[in-house]
Amino acid sequence: MNRDEQFENRLSRQPVKPVPPAWRAEILSAAERAADSVHASRITRHVPWWRELFWPCPQAWAALATAWLLIVGLNVVSRESLPPTLARRVVPPSPQIRDLLKQQERLFAELVGPLEKSVADRPKPATPQPRSARREEFLSA
Amino acid sequence: MPADIERLYDEHAQALFAFLLNLTRDEDDTRDVLQEVFVKLARQPELLRAARDARAFLIRLAHNAAIDLMRRRSVRTRHNEQFGAEKISPFAATADPDETAFRDELSAALGELPPDQRAVVHLKLWEGLTFEQIATVLEIPQNTAASRYRYGLDKLRDRLRPIYEEIK
Repeated sequence: MNRDEQFENRLSRQPVKPVPPAWRAEILSAAERAADSVHASRITRHVPWWRELFWPCPQAWAALATAWLLIVGLNVVSRESLPPTLARRVVPPSPQIRDLLKQQERLFAELVGPLEKSVADRPKPATPQPRSARREEFLSA
Repeated sequence: MPADIERLYDEHAQALFAFLLNLTRDEDDTRDVLQEVFVKLARQPELLRAARDARAFLIRLAHNAAIDLMRRRSVRTRHNEQFGAEKISPFAATADPDETAFRDELSAALGELPPDQRAVVHLKLWEGLTFEQIATVLEIPQNTAASRYRYGLDKLRDRLRPIYEEIK
């Protein structure tokens, strides 16, 4: 064994201090608390989906649900308060009104004339002519 | 609490304590880091399941936690090297005055080493790890571990030569 190895052996033979016995209980209880808190947080993490949905602000969701219920309730109540035949009843026009309507239709036709113009009255679509022909027209004029 | 934590404590706390005390030179810091390691294991037991060598893994956790502490502390002390240069000895007391003097000198000499050299020297001399294991634990190249050990040991030898020759 050379001098270096002797020196290393001498150093490595020096006994280190023992860990204080009281630390065991303290450190293990701290570890136990940490494990419990992790376990508790895992339990609270497994909540039903509907609770997760409503979790951020359940009061707001409850208020929204109440408002919708109120709207639906009012709608139902107002529909029930109307006479049932009011919306469906159709009153046939009287003969006087029918005559009046026909008279107005005739008057309108006289004022405006027929809606469709005859083919002869329609303007022809503008078709571009060759420039040379235009020039001849211009010169002859 | 998982029963594994108690078993791990009983099997490895002494080694971690000695390593951390040598590294931090402060019993309160050692206790804090040791507790941090076991609390972390209690919170994330899956960490250890992936480890092949529990001792090596725990030393790595402890080392990283101690380095974090040293970085936080260095903001206050400004010099990292001051960390560990205190008087707390990592060695057991003895009634033999020569041994006491040698251990005091050794403790002081270790305290003067940079923390990275001190960590390697401790793991080699008092944990009996190979350079390959030290490299794995400290996450450094094997050559770096070997050179840090050589530098550290040379400094210790220079510092301890007079008293070593005297009591040899």
